[in-house]
Amino acid sequence: MERYDIIIIGGGPAGLAAAIKAGKDSKVLLIEREQRLGGILKQCIHDGFGVVRFGEKLSGPEYADRFIKELSETNVQTALFSFVTDIKHTDMFYITYVCEQGVKQVTCDKLILATGCRERTRNGIFIHGDRCAGVYTAGAAQNLVNMLGVMPGRKVVILGSGDIGLIMARRLTLEGAEVVGVYEAKPTPSGLTRNIHQCLHDFNIPLYLSTTVTRVFGSNRLEKAEISQVDEKMRPISGTERLIDCDTLVLAVGLIPENELAGDLSVVLDAKTKGAAVDQNCQTLCDGIYACGNALHVNDLADYVSESGETAGEHASKPPHKRKLVNIAAKGKFLYVVPQMLDVNDDVSNVIMYFRASEDLSNQRLTVTANGREVFSKRYLKLLPPEMERIVVDFSQAGDLSNITVALEDK
Amino acid sequence: MNLTKKINAVYKKFGVKITAAEDDRSVILNGECDDWQNIVKIGKMFADKKSGKHIVNDIRLKGYEEKPPFLPAVNDKSLDGTAWDVVVIGGGISGCSVARELSKYKLKILLVEKHSDVARGASGANDGMVHAGIDLKHKCKKLYYVTRGNAMYADVCRDLGVEFERKGQYVVFSSRFIKFCGRSYLMRAKKHNIPNVSVISKKEICKAEPTVKDYAVGALKIASTGAVSPYKLTIAYAENAVQNGAAVSLNTAVLSMEHTDCEILKIFTNRGVISAECIINCAGVFADKVAQMAGDRYFSIHPRKGVDLLMDSKGKGLPDNAISLSPTFKTIKQNKNTKGGGIVKTVDGNILLGPNAREIPDREDVTTESRDVNEVFNKQLDCCPSMQRSNIIAYFAGVRAPTYEEDFIIERSAKVKNLIHVAGIQSPGLTAAPAFSVDVAEMAAELLKSRGKNVELNADFNPKRVAPVDIKSLTENELNELIKSNPDYGKMICRCEQVSLGEIKQAINNPLGVATIDGVKRRVRAGMGRCQGGFCMPNILKTIADELNADISQVQKADYGSNVVVGEIKRI
Repeated sequence: MERYDIIIIGGGPAGLAAAIKAGKDSKVLLIEREQRLGGILKQCIHDGFGVVRFGEKLSGPEYADRFIKELSETNVQTALFSFVTDIKHTDMFYITYVCEQGVKQVTCDKLILATGCRERTRNGIFIHGDRCAGVYTAGAAQNLVNMLGVMPGRKVVILGSGDIGLIMARRLTLEGAEVVGVYEAKPTPSGLTRNIHQCLHDFNIPLYLSTTVTRVFGSNRLEKAEISQVDEKMRPISGTERLIDCDTLVLAVGLIPENELAGDLSVVLDAKTKGAAVDQNCQTLCDGIYACGNALHVNDLADYVSESGETAGEHASKPPHKRKLVNIAAKGKFLYVVPQMLDVNDDVSNVIMYFRASEDLSNQRLTVTANGREVFSKRYLKLLPPEMERIVVDFSQAGDLSNITVALEDK
Repeated sequence: MNLTKKINAVYKKFGVKITAAEDDRSVILNGECDDWQNIVKIGKMFADKKSGKHIVNDIRLKGYEEKPPFLPAVNDKSLDGTAWDVVVIGGGISGCSVARELSKYKLKILLVEKHSDVARGASGANDGMVHAGIDLKHKCKKLYYVTRGNAMYADVCRDLGVEFERKGQYVVFSSRFIKFCGRSYLMRAKKHNIPNVSVISKKEICKAEPTVKDYAVGALKIASTGAVSPYKLTIAYAENAVQNGAAVSLNTAVLSMEHTDCEILKIFTNRGVISAECIINCAGVFADKVAQMAGDRYFSIHPRKGVDLLMDSKGKGLPDNAISLSPTFKTIKQNKNTKGGGIVKTVDGNILLGPNAREIPDREDVTTESRDVNEVFNKQLDCCPSMQRSNIIAYFAGVRAPTYEEDFIIERSAKVKNLIHVAGIQSPGLTAAPAFSVDVAEMAAELLKSRGKNVELNADFNPKRVAPVDIKSLTENELNELIKSNPDYGKMICRCEQVSLGEIKQAINNPLGVATIDGVKRRVRAGMGRCQGGFCMPNILKTIADELNADISQVQKADYGSNVVVGEIKRI
């Protein structure tokens, strides 16, 4: 049984970045379930990746390629088309995976989960009606168009204004489909402002807010979608239904961190992020298990996915120490704050924190306090839930770290 | 039967004027009413066990035009002019099990099914419970076949290579009064020869099923209840029939028949005109329509929809056993035609809730409604209060095919001498099928003999169907050997249900020739998990196209016309 210092599960942007960092000083294995590295970036042929990290706009495959090249210069071993079927955690981690060569077993001291996220489905949002062909998640539609080179349909309704829905509205338009409209149940868009402009406005694709798809009709292929307005609690208002001719419904109704393996390992999850609760080094409550990227929380940019991968990879290759974890309390209109804990026995001088507001807010003041003493503060003219915010906090001069709070207040 | 009295009673109760006529087999109702529920209730009022007469309910729903039935978008002559010993109409559990039992004889057998796969009706959309028959009060065909069928299940599933579990079922008592009344089940079990039924204590049920600990005072334990995948069993029956020489023609609908007063001469289908010495009507919700085509309409099917919810197998607070709440007077009064559903653990380890029961006029309406989902979930929440709504990952509807007498019709037609009806097959039809299919095959053999046909046993009959590979059931060594011989079994395509490329290719190349996305899903579960195919569907699509050597845009989700994609993107 081959023994590694660190095993990383998932070869997308988080896993790649983690592997590159971890591979500097440790013996590392990167396990990827698909034939090629890159994760979902492989099918994201639009640009906009790497603006933060490289200062230039790259396509998804180009962005991934930079990491893949860097990885090839390390000693990290990769197992491709390899699917983890079992992990046991005793004195070490015992990992079983299946690949073309058979069933393999490997062990490691530390484990990094970089398993990404999955899309919410039709059933998850209770769209009723017929069971016809033509209803796809945005990711599946993107795969069809960009990987297989085929068109899911010609007349498309998009439900959900998340980024991937907006990207697909533009992509399908460019390929000659008619995108009837993008419908969003919330009163505000779910995607980045830049994508609303570049993907919808620039192509005259209408966006309908507080509107949702309530039913689909079609004996074989989708023929019609029923659209309804919703009230402030996002419940359809009866009497507002109208039917729209279409042959395709694309669902971009949210992403959920993929935590099946974390669940099997009894890693404690945060109900808000749906990912693991972690300290500033992306280490979960289980010593030796790290989570990063979209498996940790759904990021808005791949650049930040890579960043948390690096944090996890770098820390995992350090020798273990006894942690002292302090909860970070979030007060105010937060959707979530990551990390959820601070390991005060470790370096606290450069703590990267990510957060999202729970609603559209203006003139906000964010403060980070340790035992009532302000450590960090920042003013925000505008905070929108689709835009993730990132701050770097230095706790090293704060003194007593027994009581940490992040607060958002009107200013 | 005093029809006038009942006609008056209908008028008094519903304010509807109807007519009723009687012949030697049926009571025929006519009239018009503006509420479908009342039409069904009126039909039931005329059903009378003593007279043994069937109800033909022709009361029209005001303003409702019956939808044309689904017909396959195929028209060719591939079956034209063919003559068969037996034609089985319908590829549900009834038709497929009958075809398989018939293949024990040396006969030319054809099963026709209008959809692109078998088990597309109620047989593919039920909870897979193999019933003990405890809820049946009176002697009837249902009771006769359910007890026999239940006893046959382990053997049948072993032969057909289908997973079957007999883990029993608990009917939970929520009060001491109900527990007291529940003892009557024991007497019934004794009377009807249902084995291994016992009343267990509060302590025992809470130990077996902790999720009911807050309210249970005891339970009825029915040890002979089992679980099977209803569509996998139907598929297995059909495949074994094909292995033993029967022909299955999918996408084939019976459109009409040419008949005399006492014999079917020709069957018109969308794939040509065929003839048969013996015709077996296993048409499910359309069984009365098929009877009508043969000039033999003496019963009506009233479609009854049920919705089931599928829960995430990793969800918290879910029970580990098949459980249901013991009916109370209130629930019995609310709905007499179903036990009110329950919670079932499938052979795949998922939890299913349901089904409810809703009378509907459209025989093929398998749409779901939020009121059904809510009704089923809220009802089962009483049974298992710790369940979470967020763990619902899928839901589906099926349409039961009951007669107004609510019993099976399994008999040779009294009028048409080359016709056998297997009609009114609703719950517990899945349980009963292994038993009644044997009887129906014998019935058909007798029918053929009476028409001068020499019926011999099929010396080559092989009851065993080799089950497709399921890598999850293999030991590590077995899997290693398999991957060595075919690396496709080491390439994982469906992450949620862990299905390999090898298994998917095997499912595409099945004996029935069903190469669709849904066909693969039902055979190997690819796409059935929490992502519902979001990740694996494009891969499966490509694999189907490659295996068939076809264009991707030709691949169907299910029936013809359900193309997954519509063509290629722009070319540079």
